[in-house]
Amino acid sequence: MESLSRADRVELLRAMLLMRAIESRALTLYRQGRVPGSFYDGFGQEAVSVGAAFALGPRDRLCPLHRDLGAHLVRGVEPARILAQYMGRASGVTGGRDGNVHFGDPASGVMGMVSMLPDMMCVAAGMAMAFKLRGEPRVALSWFGDGATSRGDFHEAMNWAGVQRLPVVFVLENNQFAYSTPLAKQFAVDPVERARVYGFPGVTVDGNDVEAVFEAVRAARERALTGAGPTLVEAVTMRMHGHAAHDDMRYVPPELLAEWTRRDPIERQERRVAQLAVDVADLRAAVDVEVEAAAAEALAAPMPDPAGAARGVFAEGEPEPLGDGRAPWSGFADAVAEAPA
Amino acid sequence: MPQLGVSVVEGTVIRWLVGVGDDVAADQPLCEVDTDKIVTDIPSPAAGTLAELLVHEGETVEVGATLARISKTGRSGSHVDHERPEFHSPVVQRLAAEHGVDLGGVPGTGRGGRISKQDVLAAVEKPLHTESPYRAEAPAGQLSRMRRAIGAHMKRSLETAATCTTWMECDMARVEQSRRGAKASSLLGVTPLPIVARAAMDVLGEHPALNATLEGERYTRHEAVHLGVAVSLGEDGLIVPVIRDAHALTVEELGVAIRELAKRARKQQLSPDEVGGGTFTVTNPGQFGSLMATPVINQPQVAILDLEAVVKRAIVIEDADGNDVIEIRPQTILGLSWDHRALDGAQAAQFLGALRRRLERWDG
Amino acid sequence: MPTMTYLEAIADALREQLRADPRVFVLGEDVGAFGGAFKVTDGFVEEFGEERVIDTPLAEAAIVGAAVGAAVVGMRPVCEMQFADFVACGFDQLVNVAGKTHYRFGLAVPLVVRLPSGGGFSGGPFHSQNPEAWFMHAPGIKVLAPSTAEDAKGLLTAAIRDPNPVVFLEHKHLYRRVKGEVPEGIYETPMSARVVREGTDLTVIAYGAMVHAALEASAPEALDGASVEILDLRSLVPLDTQAILASVAKTSKALIVDEANETCAAGAQVAALIAEHAFEQLDGPVRRVATPDVPIPFSPPLEQAVLPSVERIRDACRDLLDY
Repeated sequence: MESLSRADRVELLRAMLLMRAIESRALTLYRQGRVPGSFYDGFGQEAVSVGAAFALGPRDRLCPLHRDLGAHLVRGVEPARILAQYMGRASGVTGGRDGNVHFGDPASGVMGMVSMLPDMMCVAAGMAMAFKLRGEPRVALSWFGDGATSRGDFHEAMNWAGVQRLPVVFVLENNQFAYSTPLAKQFAVDPVERARVYGFPGVTVDGNDVEAVFEAVRAARERALTGAGPTLVEAVTMRMHGHAAHDDMRYVPPELLAEWTRRDPIERQERRVAQLAVDVADLRAAVDVEVEAAAAEALAAPMPDPAGAARGVFAEGEPEPLGDGRAPWSGFADAVAEAPA
Repeated sequence: MPQLGVSVVEGTVIRWLVGVGDDVAADQPLCEVDTDKIVTDIPSPAAGTLAELLVHEGETVEVGATLARISKTGRSGSHVDHERPEFHSPVVQRLAAEHGVDLGGVPGTGRGGRISKQDVLAAVEKPLHTESPYRAEAPAGQLSRMRRAIGAHMKRSLETAATCTTWMECDMARVEQSRRGAKASSLLGVTPLPIVARAAMDVLGEHPALNATLEGERYTRHEAVHLGVAVSLGEDGLIVPVIRDAHALTVEELGVAIRELAKRARKQQLSPDEVGGGTFTVTNPGQFGSLMATPVINQPQVAILDLEAVVKRAIVIEDADGNDVIEIRPQTILGLSWDHRALDGAQAAQFLGALRRRLERWDG
Repeated sequence: MPTMTYLEAIADALREQLRADPRVFVLGEDVGAFGGAFKVTDGFVEEFGEERVIDTPLAEAAIVGAAVGAAVVGMRPVCEMQFADFVACGFDQLVNVAGKTHYRFGLAVPLVVRLPSGGGFSGGPFHSQNPEAWFMHAPGIKVLAPSTAEDAKGLLTAAIRDPNPVVFLEHKHLYRRVKGEVPEGIYETPMSARVVREGTDLTVIAYGAMVHAALEASAPEALDGASVEILDLRSLVPLDTQAILASVAKTSKALIVDEANETCAAGAQVAALIAEHAFEQLDGPVRRVATPDVPIPFSPPLEQAVLPSVERIRDACRDLLDY
């Protein structure tokens, strides 16, 4: 990709490695009983969240879902806080108020998800609506899965965005299964086809090629900034683990898993980056060290004080909107330098 | 609380004769009740077991209020067909506790006789013991129910009637003679009261304006004389039983009736209808030696005759030759309190004059 | 001081906030070109433009969800549900996204959802509801229900300026029937209760249209001179517990009137609070008059039979006064 520098490509890999390392470490912690509730990961889908998030500018806003940990990492949320979040510690991103990937650090420009999918599509449409009303060159992006496209909020958000020509990018993570429900039982028409009838383009991209995902979202963003409206980007991938750590995914044909293992997004990017004379082993080792340190920090963190359990329901004083997050793509360097603080 | 007499609206339980858990027979006296006229027993309406006493000794309740519950199954309160049991709402209990109010003595104006918040607050505002200069010296108490009733009646009378009193001296020689000459078996009694009463009723026949009642605007002259006779009950006060159609009785019969009534009055055996409906009243406190008094009219009558002590006095009379001589004669001063709304002084004087003449010529 | 209807007061608040704060905008079905189903936003699009008075698709979930999105990037959206009943279609976004965001992330969601509520004009089961209890029950959402024109303006202003999601119940029946003096300029009514009439014998607690019914039912001449205190709750979340308990301490008798369906209506919460915190003040049971648990019927005799009438409220007052 012309728009990606060498450093960008390494960063894309690094972010995916970090995501996988954190989730692996967390899975171990879960099996050790240190992670209460459920544990969800995006194993094998890292390119979808990392690639898409990488294309968003500091003033853009993100609505990731439970397999999109990479988005948080790209925006700058520290691994220690994420591991503490899984373990319900006071230093976790929500301080124990919500669990697993139900978080969003407002300072990073990310709004955390709800379990009702895909409610956040409507929210992202609203963010985009505000940007348009104010004439700002900003976009909002919402991730959601194949199952979520069956619910009313998907259609309301798509229609809303289409009729109002909003600067929103909808990223459909088609990972073949919604829990145990395969695509064939989920819809009669591939959702990417539906974008057209809502008035905007739907593009399909290889969800396990992080640079292709990046490019698709970058283009969609550009389109949005011209005022042309939304784009639905379908990133085709595979959910390599169960719906959650408690799901043994016996309903997935083993051949399917075998096939997709060969298309692992991290290995793919590693091969690319290796050609750029980057020491991938070094990179991996560095990521592992970072994650180990983060795990140690998170394990040492205290649990939240029960006395605070009922506090913080209502906001007081002037409301603070979502802040700007980190936007590591080199293409934003000029923008960051030019934009006012 | 039964209605013990036509005009009775409330009564006070003086004493319970049975306790909770006692078996009672039908008609068995359960308690003593005091209205402002009499004290009487309340007989049990049914046989059974006394399950609950709802009114305490000393407590006053309205006619119709439940006094007690009798269980017919023998178990306290289980199968009784009852109205709501005594209930004190939370605020009533709290206020009573805070202010030291005995809820047993508080009349209830809520539904079914419930003591309401307002009832308790009213009880708080009118405490039994006021700030009196005598508090430190003597323990405060309360006048008896009857005394209070008498007081209320007297006060009302004085506030209602234009009360005046006229006196006249009367020579009682003939009356005394007649009395002493009476046969021992005639039961004329110790006082000249029956003779004076008889004479007074004869005079009322000629002076009907004094045998009348005035209730508000309604003025009624009565044909019959229903004679009220004041009876002292000593410390317990006084009571005025009425001899109905007294005008038809002889002196002897009057004597008997008066003595009977007095006896029963003192034993608290009068029925409520024996203390009402009088048209004229006679009072005789003279047995204690007083000479004159200002009796209070017995409402709604218009006059009351007062017979004081008969004392020997030196008086001037005319002898057979028309000369003034001094003699020692038994004298009394007849007093008549009368209502100036219905009568005037001349009538009062004429009545007394006629009565005096009759008594001075009395020949038995 | 100008006199205006309850509806005009609501429009006045909206207009003033749109003028004063560029972050405020209105969105809903038919609010722009048409001026709103009840004409609350009549003339608004002409003054403020299509970008601040947005005609949305028929999509309550998207209306509320988009409002959330706009709110977290610095706007102050005021959504309108065409009828309170339709908030059910946006319930998930309101309760699960708007209501739970600040608690979880410390991220404020300053939005208002205006709900034209209530019955009394043959609106039938889907145009007559009083759904406030649903949102009292959802953490993170404030609930307001004015009964007068002055309070309607002041409370809507307060709602728009509040950094939290606020459900604003405007009773349709009061739109044009209630008039009053409304101060000019911007003012906020506190989210607290108000004693409408002072009294000593009984407290009647109500909000919205029922305040007016309660006033009529408990006029002294109607109850043999009894002195009945009327407390207008005005705010259901936050609920003015202190005012409720102070009034009950004074009168010792409480009657709560709900136009909403009886079970778990706002009045049930008020009754529970009284029973718990004012037990020793009570000289009678805490009673409620409410609509029975039925969908609001359409035909007038049926509707009148279920909604709390002045007569029903009066009988309940009398019964408690005599207790």
